[in-house]
Amino acid sequence: MNYADMIIQSVTALVGTLGFGFLFNIRGKKLVFAAVGGMLAWMLFLVLEPVAESEPLRYLIVSACSTTYAEVLARILKTPATTFSIITLIPLVPGGALYQTTTAALDRNTEVFVPKLIYTIELAVALSLGIVIVTAIFRRFVHKKV
Amino acid sequence: MKQEDTYRLLSKVLEILKMMTEAGAEIYRVEESASRIFAAYGVKNADVYATTSNIIVSLELDDGTIKTHSRRIGSIATDIERIDRLNSLVRRICEQKLDTPQIDKEIEYIKGTPTYPTIVNILFYGIIAGAFYFFFGGRNIVELLFSAVIGLITGVITALLGKANTNKFMVKFLCSLTACLIIFTLKSFSVVTSVDNIIIANIMTLIPGIGLTNSLRDLFVGDSVSGILRLIEVALLALAIACGYILTTFIFGGVLL
Repeated sequence: MNYADMIIQSVTALVGTLGFGFLFNIRGKKLVFAAVGGMLAWMLFLVLEPVAESEPLRYLIVSACSTTYAEVLARILKTPATTFSIITLIPLVPGGALYQTTTAALDRNTEVFVPKLIYTIELAVALSLGIVIVTAIFRRFVHKKV
Repeated sequence: MKQEDTYRLLSKVLEILKMMTEAGAEIYRVEESASRIFAAYGVKNADVYATTSNIIVSLELDDGTIKTHSRRIGSIATDIERIDRLNSLVRRICEQKLDTPQIDKEIEYIKGTPTYPTIVNILFYGIIAGAFYFFFGGRNIVELLFSAVIGLITGVITALLGKANTNKFMVKFLCSLTACLIIFTLKSFSVVTSVDNIIIANIMTLIPGIGLTNSLRDLFVGDSVSGILRLIEVALLALAIACGYILTTFIFGGVLL
């Protein structure tokens, strides 16, 4: 992927995340941190490509990093970690994969449908595992009143 | 604490838990909040069971009386600011042991949590659809504009039907149907060359991505019932979106597929 595409994707990830921040009623400076987090998450996903080619693996890493970002910010800004943890992962929501799965099902194209479906599930599971692992670590070792 | 006070507190706590769940809080946060409040007030045997469809709290007081209270959860709509405020309220209740009239006042205050004006939300539907059109690799300005306009239209539909309390599966279906019909019409008049990126961009505004992540997280944390309830809802919402697309391809059947 060339640099122009990377920049376009990062900027649009920022705008998209910001948009969802409005829809989910995030206010004030939390909105800024959430949107920037969304952009950083996607940039990390792009930067990791040479290191880890497998997309589900990268999803797991990015989701773990995003959740760490969320947990740290939550303690600084005294707000629940959810404020940031889910919204920063918006650019990673496998919307495209889900669409391709649906179209393949419509075309009765089982050769594409089954791998696409498994792939979509892999991405979703990687995403939530990253959140769960980091949340568990924070709750176990860094637990303060949140 | 006097018995009547405990009863009144119980009712207020349930109100808080209900509001938390309806604003989209995690189930473990809801259960933990209740346990923490009752612990702070010295109620030793408090048992909380929360799911995304109802909450049950059972207290056993020192004199042996048992009081159980439950609340039905209505529809869930993510409202981060509200979760934030409820969370601070829980923390303050634990620290300062507020009495029930004070808690009441705080709850009323949180009920008035500001939301962004509908027009801003509609605008952002358009902006999101435009941004994700580029994000998924589209590079055509005309298609970008149409993607954003279709986003605005789904935003208007969501806002109008949301006010009328329409079934949420119906809302997703109608949004997806309208979006797909417009996109396929544009395609058949050769205004746009490819439909894929516009559809994916607009699906991003409709798709319950947060619901899916929430559901898997609940499952992995051990709140299986809530996780499954959310997962089924997500699957049905995704199906509703897919139905809009399927119906459109049937209508345009011979032309495109």
